[in-house]
Amino acid sequence: MNRKLLALAPLLVFVLLCVFLYQGLFANPRELQTGRIGHTMPTFNLPDLMDESKRWTDADLKGEVYLLNVWGTWCPTCLAELGYLTELREQGVKIIGLYYEQGYDPDFDGQFDINALREDVTSMLNRAGDPYQFNILDLKRTLALDLGVSGAPETFLVDKQGTILLHHTGDINPRVWRSKFAPLMQELQQ
Amino acid sequence: MRLIIFLASLLMTFSVFAQQDKYQFDNDEQAVRFSELTKELRCPKCQNQNIADSDAVVAKDLRDKVLALVKDGKTKDEVIEYMIDRYGYFVHYEPPVTPATLVLWVLPVLIVVLGFGFIVIRQRKASVKQTWTHEDEALLAKLIKQNQRQEQS
Repeated sequence: MNRKLLALAPLLVFVLLCVFLYQGLFANPRELQTGRIGHTMPTFNLPDLMDESKRWTDADLKGEVYLLNVWGTWCPTCLAELGYLTELREQGVKIIGLYYEQGYDPDFDGQFDINALREDVTSMLNRAGDPYQFNILDLKRTLALDLGVSGAPETFLVDKQGTILLHHTGDINPRVWRSKFAPLMQELQQ
Repeated sequence: MRLIIFLASLLMTFSVFAQQDKYQFDNDEQAVRFSELTKELRCPKCQNQNIADSDAVVAKDLRDKVLALVKDGKTKDEVIEYMIDRYGYFVHYEPPVTPATLVLWVLPVLIVVLGFGFIVIRQRKASVKQTWTHEDEALLAKLIKQNQRQEQS
């Protein structure tokens, strides 16, 4: 009996390995656990995307539950989620845009013109829907780095005290909203 | 031939200079720390590259930040901690020992210990079974004699 069990051991190990590797097929490597969850918003002082004389700081954002959505007109997935985000805005969700700019950097494009960018943003939001209360322009991506942003789109859920509750990488669609955001939003509203 | 080798060596030195020109350091120690850190930190966007190899925007941002921190006189551990604070444990190629990663550290040791244990136990069992009695000795002597006779005839 003991010997039979021993003979089965390699098969058992093999089956366990199969289960483990099979799970790996469906694991999403983009699902990252970043360091900022549970911490307060980092301090920042950045201009508005549409008006450089207007500046935003972390203190301005406190007091309300909001989504901080990292996006750019260069990013196709961001365009894809604009429609659903606009729906969420209509349902009363406050969404603030953090504009992730690449062209300003001499290492990538170096061709940067704020007026062209504003036109680009306006036409895109007119076409696809405008979910944003306002947009913060992060030209040097300093706030993005402090938040642990690795690209766009990414979305943070922040509570009234300014604590980051969620960091989602990738687009927001009804499925993601239902499974990740809605339960937390409900808790926050109670 | 010699000329070709000479020209090729020139090309190589130029590329080395180009690397150093891109980032300016106050001393060699900073340069070494910078190159160690950019090899050890993982690009959050392009997952199987370190930030030294990756061309992603975020990798460039992290390189610039590492450069600034190193020039500020921050130690290697301080820079790594700075990055982990923002990008999580994912950003460092060396996983820390936490309950979630314990299995990575314990499993290899466990397999080696169990494997050797198995071998030792098996050998002990085998040696216990093989007793050698007088009858066995007599039987062996008889068989040898038989064999010798067969060879002679």
